[in-house]
Amino acid sequence: MTLPVVPLQVAGDLVRLVINGITTGSIYILLAVGLSIILGTLKFVNFAHGALYIVGAYLGLIIAQQPRFGGKLPEWLQDLGLIDGATVGLGWGYLAALVVVPVVVFVVGLLMERFVAQPFYDRPDTDQILLTFGLALILQELFRVLFGGQSQSIAQPPWAEGSALGLPLVGDVLRFFGVSGVSTWRLVIILITAVLVGIVYLLIEYTDFGLTVRAGTVDAEMVELLGIRLSRPYLVVFGIGAALAGVAGLVGGPLVNFNPDYGGNILVPAFLTVVVGGVGSIRGAVLGGLLFGLVQAGLIQFGFAAWSEVGIYAMAAIVLLVRPEGLLGDEVVA
Amino acid sequence: MSDETRVEREGVATEREGLLATWAELRERESVVVAGTALAVLLFPYLFARAPVVSDALQGYQSLAELILIWGIFVIGYDLLHGYTGLLSFGHAAFWGGGAYAAGVFAANVSGSPLAMLVVGTVFAALLAWVLGFLSLRRGGIYFAILTLAFAQMLYYMALQPLASITGGDNGLGIGRRTIDPLLGFIPLEAGVPVITELVSTWMYMLIGGAMVFTVAVAYRVLNSPYGMVFRAIRENEQRAEFVGLNVWRYKLMAFVISGAIAGLAGALFAIHNARVPVESLFWTTSGEVVIMSVIGGVGSLFGAPLGAAVYLYIANVIPGIREVMLFTQIDKLFPGPQAVVLPEWANPAPYWHLILGVLFVAIVVFFPRGGVWGGIKDLRRTVAERLRGDR
Repeated sequence: MTLPVVPLQVAGDLVRLVINGITTGSIYILLAVGLSIILGTLKFVNFAHGALYIVGAYLGLIIAQQPRFGGKLPEWLQDLGLIDGATVGLGWGYLAALVVVPVVVFVVGLLMERFVAQPFYDRPDTDQILLTFGLALILQELFRVLFGGQSQSIAQPPWAEGSALGLPLVGDVLRFFGVSGVSTWRLVIILITAVLVGIVYLLIEYTDFGLTVRAGTVDAEMVELLGIRLSRPYLVVFGIGAALAGVAGLVGGPLVNFNPDYGGNILVPAFLTVVVGGVGSIRGAVLGGLLFGLVQAGLIQFGFAAWSEVGIYAMAAIVLLVRPEGLLGDEVVA
Repeated sequence: MSDETRVEREGVATEREGLLATWAELRERESVVVAGTALAVLLFPYLFARAPVVSDALQGYQSLAELILIWGIFVIGYDLLHGYTGLLSFGHAAFWGGGAYAAGVFAANVSGSPLAMLVVGTVFAALLAWVLGFLSLRRGGIYFAILTLAFAQMLYYMALQPLASITGGDNGLGIGRRTIDPLLGFIPLEAGVPVITELVSTWMYMLIGGAMVFTVAVAYRVLNSPYGMVFRAIRENEQRAEFVGLNVWRYKLMAFVISGAIAGLAGALFAIHNARVPVESLFWTTSGEVVIMSVIGGVGSLFGAPLGAAVYLYIANVIPGIREVMLFTQIDKLFPGPQAVVLPEWANPAPYWHLILGVLFVAIVVFFPRGGVWGGIKDLRRTVAERLRGDR
């Protein structure tokens, strides 16, 4: 019996579209989950979240490779006698970056919570927005001074190069659907995102720590009256959110070129993902990210590449008109 | 102290208070405000760009003075919404860029009359604000900020690619000086204004300055009418305003539309001034810039708005060029020697101007969230007034 060929090709294209969509969505998801839990539990608006993406990206670049930069960092390091040539970086490889970046950005998140967010918890939302916006501006300019303004990208690690069709098992599955040409790197991104978001989800939903955090989301005052200190869980939540953003930068680095300004550009879709999914809901952030990724990949696949950026904003507008609280949000926040 | 001297002192104090009160009352009068603005607008480019000593020290120039007024109008429009109604919009690039593009497309296809361009830009921005306001005002607080940001970004991406045939895409919309007709059909914008050329230079400046005076008059009238009082009531306590029986939603939408229209007017002026519209005028950084200017100038102060624009544009345009710190030429006559001190390479401020602005901005947000530069001036004025009144 011969299998019908045409439907198989369609199926292959569809699978590829879904994989491309999920990859794009993964970056949004990593950013949005962090934004969403920080916004949901701490009620803190972080416009500097995009800057954390940039921190992750540049840090990853320096740890994984030995790139050339145009900024002042090479000059300064040369003046100090720390490096000889024009290249800056450790060159430990991508896996090392994957371990170090989340840890460092987690610490950056802790510092941000202590010294930036905490003094502003009692100030109005608008002040929080202005403060974090200013902070994002400062970070962006610091990176421009250090690394220069030109676009950078992280090289794909050698073990993830090439087509996924060559992989054992996974390649067979893809070939079964008639998929032609999906890079291994995209699958790696999806895997990293799934694992990290899964861990955070389990942490929030099934541990005592998560219980405290969720209780604090519902009624912080009551939790504190019961004698449970919330300041430490809040600190950790902020750190986790920051670490996810840092990983987003590391993972997105090989996919999209970045420069110091890119943090602001990626922040807008990330925020929309949160708003569309529903604030404070991890599942919502994942759903929103997937929708955005698929819409974007779909528009590109079907010949509307020019509209691919516009598409997600239009979709966000529609969702908000129909369901202002977001797809999986359960409360109408004024 | 004897009784006589006390009486005497009190007499002097009341007399002074009477003068101060008259002055305070005069200051509030609309005609005085408009006339004062007109005077300031007339003197500003001279003081900034051409006056002896002062302009040397400032290193200002005519086109920067024009740019400051254009952005000043934009910030006034923005502040009507953020400062007075309490709605933090992060998407005002949509109206600035929208007004600029509307004016530019109109000039290229219909008529290059500057006044018609201004009207078209303003009306287009007002309509756009109506639609976007209708959508964004469904949610308040941070969601409003995010929604306005998102819609403005949507317009940016639309101008960048799908509508590139109209907007010129990545290259921006080139209008060209020749497309823009003379003012009223017979006054070229590049021509000097007779009699007061030294003061204001060209008719271009008169057009921009006229728009500034017009904007201040409109904004002052709106803000000091019962209508504007409601804006402030909404800022102070939206719920209470609702309970009093006001239709808060309609007032907020109206504030958004007025604010957007003024931003569109400024955008159209920008299009005329540059004779081209860069696509970045729709980008979120433009929205960010107007937020920064408004905060630096002082949130919720009509006259702080142009000051904020001035500080921002000054830091952005003059600081990067300063390698030599100019000394007053007069000093040279007293002490012969070099007139300028050249900064060493490490102290060259050029790469750091954005950083300087960021730090200034954050400092104001943290320490004077509602004050800004204008708040500082007001504090100073109050101190002086108290000194004059004699009660320390």
